[in-house]
Amino acid sequence: MFESCLEIRRHFWDYLEGECDRSVFRSIRYHLDYCASCRMELERIETLKNDLDTLPARRVPPELALRLRVKLSRHLHQNLLDRFLVFVDNALKPLLLPASGGVLAAILCFALIMGSQIIPAASMTDDSGGSNQPPRVQMLAPITFPTGEEGIVVVTHIDAEGRVLSYRVLSGSYSPQVLRHLDRMMYFSHFQPAMMDGKPTDGQVVLSLRQITVRG
Amino acid sequence: MSYVRTVEAALDRASRIAGEEATLVAELQAGSEGAFAYLLGVYQTPVFDLVSHIVENPSDAADVLQDVFVKVFRRIGQFQGDSSLKTWIYKIAIHEASNHRRSWLRRFRREPVSLDAETIGPPIAQSREDTPYQMLEKSERQALVRRALASLASPYRTVVVLREIEGMSYEEIAQVLGVAEGTVKSRLVRGRELLRRKLAGYGAPSGII
Ligand SMILES: [Zn+2]
Repeated sequence: MFESCLEIRRHFWDYLEGECDRSVFRSIRYHLDYCASCRMELERIETLKNDLDTLPARRVPPELALRLRVKLSRHLHQNLLDRFLVFVDNALKPLLLPASGGVLAAILCFALIMGSQIIPAASMTDDSGGSNQPPRVQMLAPITFPTGEEGIVVVTHIDAEGRVLSYRVLSGSYSPQVLRHLDRMMYFSHFQPAMMDGKPTDGQVVLSLRQITVRG
Repeated sequence: MSYVRTVEAALDRASRIAGEEATLVAELQAGSEGAFAYLLGVYQTPVFDLVSHIVENPSDAADVLQDVFVKVFRRIGQFQGDSSLKTWIYKIAIHEASNHRRSWLRRFRREPVSLDAETIGPPIAQSREDTPYQMLEKSERQALVRRALASLASPYRTVVVLREIEGMSYEEIAQVLGVAEGTVKSRLVRGRELLRRKLAGYGAPSGII
């Protein structure tokens, strides 16, 4: 290896990007003509550069993508939700007045609408007036349990008969007790199945559950 | 070509067509759910990949990604268009990932953990002529590159990732990191040199790595 090899090699990355001065470019070309070892090194750096450039990206797991959508939905509807909670609070308070000191608790449920998660992309173009619909909550079982300030978000898989096949908790703090309540709630709630081309089908719905407590 | 390439093409288009970006920003600032969904569609994979390279424990990338987008959702109203949307988002991502990394290092001082293979996409074929053997060889080489990269000191790793993987210009990197272009260049020279040194027998024509 020549004295100048180390110095020359420092410019190889820029050389490959076409980012070095004309004079540097010329001396590299001249050097490469007679230095086999630097030619080999240049080839390796080219391979390394290419390997970096084509390094496969880490894919976002579908679960994480769904979490992001839920966070987005929460963010966009937070003001609406807060206003609604105040409204519910004010509407329920008079009911508690006769029994002063009474406490009323209920679970509020919001279905987060995320079309792409529910209806396959292939049927998205079908715009035939609502023949494709995600599942809907018909009646939520009147079971209450602490959901925390943030609420609990669950992805619920509803079959064509409107039964809950499975559900999983996407976010929120939950304990084994809360999960037992959730099991019961999912079992006793009524859902309207998803519709595709006018026929009931399996589908998913994302539910955001939040307990409200009103004190009289 | 894989999905990743399509996203990159989308990113390039987005940054080239400034007018289109202005429209998108206006829609985001107006709180359009569709615009936010589009933003996620375009940026979630590149940002996830970027933070995966920066956090010490790759399994934390999921938490960081969520923090990044929550900040993006909250702060989009303050986006002035001084830089491109991409630069602005990357700046938030780098900031979040570095903060996370610092607090992680305070808690557990140990070697970086290797990436879990399942979320890493298949190697991208360079050309249609790539044989299965060449693809395998390449993915083995890339696993080495990933490990060597993860072992670089953070300031060097970040510039190498932004330049060599994300393909950003010196100016963009300087904006994202909030440092002078000269600093970017010197860190890059050093980072590349360190990386090459860590891969001593890499890419030897004999095939011995
Ligand atoms: Zn030489």
